[in-house]
Amino acid sequence: MRPLTLRRLLWTCGSLAVLLLASVVLALKLGAVPISVTDLLLDLGRIAIGRANELPTEYRLIVFDLRLPRILLGILVGAALSVAGASFQALLRNPLADPYVLGVSSGAALGSILALLIAPGFALVTPLGAFLGAIATIAGVYFLGRREGQLDSATLLLGGIISASFFSAIIMFLLTTLSGRDLRGMVFWLMGDLSTPVSAGTQWIFTVGLVAGIGAIYSTSADLNLLLTGEREAIHLGVDVTRVKLVVYVSASLLTALAVSASGAIGYVGLLVPHAVRLIFGSDYRLLIPASALCGAIAIVLADTLARTIVPPTELPVGAMTAMAGAPVFIYLLRRGLR
Amino acid sequence: MSFLILCDGAFPAQTSGAHTALPAGRELTDEAGRKIRIPQEVDRVVSLAPNLTEIVFALGDGDHLAGDTDYCDYPAEAMQKPHVGGPVNPNLEVVVSLMPDLVLATSMNRRETVNALAHIGLPVYYVSLPHSVEEMIASMEHLGSALGVEKSAALLAEDLRGRLADLDRRLAGAAPRRVLFVVWTDPLISVGRDTFIADALRRAGGRSVVDTKAEWPHVSLEEIVRLQPEVLVFASAHAGSTQQDIDTLRTRPGWRDLEAIRHGNIVVVSDAINRPAPRMVDAIERLARALHLEAFASRTAPFSGGGTGFSLWGSVSAGTKPHRLKPVPPSSADSNPVTSTPRIEEACACAR
Repeated sequence: MRPLTLRRLLWTCGSLAVLLLASVVLALKLGAVPISVTDLLLDLGRIAIGRANELPTEYRLIVFDLRLPRILLGILVGAALSVAGASFQALLRNPLADPYVLGVSSGAALGSILALLIAPGFALVTPLGAFLGAIATIAGVYFLGRREGQLDSATLLLGGIISASFFSAIIMFLLTTLSGRDLRGMVFWLMGDLSTPVSAGTQWIFTVGLVAGIGAIYSTSADLNLLLTGEREAIHLGVDVTRVKLVVYVSASLLTALAVSASGAIGYVGLLVPHAVRLIFGSDYRLLIPASALCGAIAIVLADTLARTIVPPTELPVGAMTAMAGAPVFIYLLRRGLR
Repeated sequence: MSFLILCDGAFPAQTSGAHTALPAGRELTDEAGRKIRIPQEVDRVVSLAPNLTEIVFALGDGDHLAGDTDYCDYPAEAMQKPHVGGPVNPNLEVVVSLMPDLVLATSMNRRETVNALAHIGLPVYYVSLPHSVEEMIASMEHLGSALGVEKSAALLAEDLRGRLADLDRRLAGAAPRRVLFVVWTDPLISVGRDTFIADALRRAGGRSVVDTKAEWPHVSLEEIVRLQPEVLVFASAHAGSTQQDIDTLRTRPGWRDLEAIRHGNIVVVSDAINRPAPRMVDAIERLARALHLEAFASRTAPFSGGGTGFSLWGSVSAGTKPHRLKPVPPSSADSNPVTSTPRIEEACACAR
């Protein structure tokens, strides 16, 4: 593996950022209502110089009030899930770990539904419930996965999958108590859906939470590299393992909770993206974390664009797209791991 | 990180209403209690549900309908309109591109959809799911005033109410039939007492054997076997698969233990009964006629609502007792044997 230099880090992240920008422009262009790239760039320019009022109303509504917020939300969700996935993979030393597979997404979903049933009407009740659900689930799954003081990979995955199906059962039960209208909304949300705009306040909280979460995880990335060689080895090398684990567990759960409360359970992004990044850029966490964030954002933006345009004018939930791509890859990784 | 910088300037002006600058307009309150502002003249309407589309056309305002959903199949003109996707997942971009000055939504739509459209400044008029036929008519009148077609709404409401009153008079002496309305067979879903369908059954001289507060209850077949409804009522499916479904049911355990199935006391009514829209009254009239032949047999006056349209419904008979919807009470059968029998045959023949 090539050593990581600042230059390489900046180059990689820079080119990924350019790619992300390109996919954002593509996502802005494509949709049920076609828009030409030149018009789009001109209009972006107009907005940049503060002359947004000159744009036609209906056009501004479609591109800047419907498409753009959705794309931005997709960026936040994709980055959050990918970094959460990469972190869980390091902490649990398991390449198959992912918020969805570990049941953390389901736990967060259950948490936010419970919170919504107990205290509806509070703006932040869903993210908070999702966070508590995510933390409780990862703690529970970690406990389930321990055998004689060591984490057992297979037991851990089983614990996660069983937790996920248990939570899904409780969610199904809770959903039967909802009226038809709430139910339809919830079912869409559970499938992983970005079509619902969130309020400006919520989006700011997501942005702040995302930066804080990714920042905290990034600050431990050197330690995560050492942790990958084994917990005992890391301790010998002077890593404060307890602190690192606590920081990463809490941050990764926060990221998952943010993503789930915004868009439901979008599966397999946290699994797929870090693996792809590792294949291309190597497994140094100092590069893996920012690269995963950017690639996750690109993946969700593209997947959601596909979901929006594949059967126009109907919109599909983006979770269906990621699961269709992700599940086969999961099986491939599982088979390769077994050999 | 570049995307964070993007976020900075690009979070949309959430409060910007696209229509705040309108010179003149009206303010009105929809059925969810939301205050909306619409132009004096509503020219472009987008409907997000089939029943709302039907109401708009029934009020003679179809020309102003700019778009509807993939499921809006009545009247035929509705299918020619631009579609915005399904009621549950309409494409908001397409809705906006149709430049509506009023969007009609109902309980079929997700709350998120309504909120999202209101959020970007489109006036959304919400129509609650009615709990009775009368509520549907009143709701249609309100919608009429939102669309600026109060007169035709009042006329249509008067006509519908008149037909229902006529029906009430005809059925005044008849004991209600105990019916099971089948919304879905697998699993068996019927209607609760507070639904508009339960009310439609009442108006047609039926009474649902399922009596529960839940709106669309899953009912156990065992319970139905115990209750033994006199008549099963199905809404016709689009593809004409209803007949096939019923033939299948006849052979299935549980279903074949129902007296109504064994005696062929099955009524297939137009699927208009599932849609809270004016056409529902046609379906009610036909259902009433199927349930209470005796009440209609003595008179030859045709229905005001086109009572000859037997093609939409019919009773399906089993082999053992053909052409008998229900053993007619002896008194009425004796008093009018000649007039009632041919009518039953006519109804049955059309079902095949």
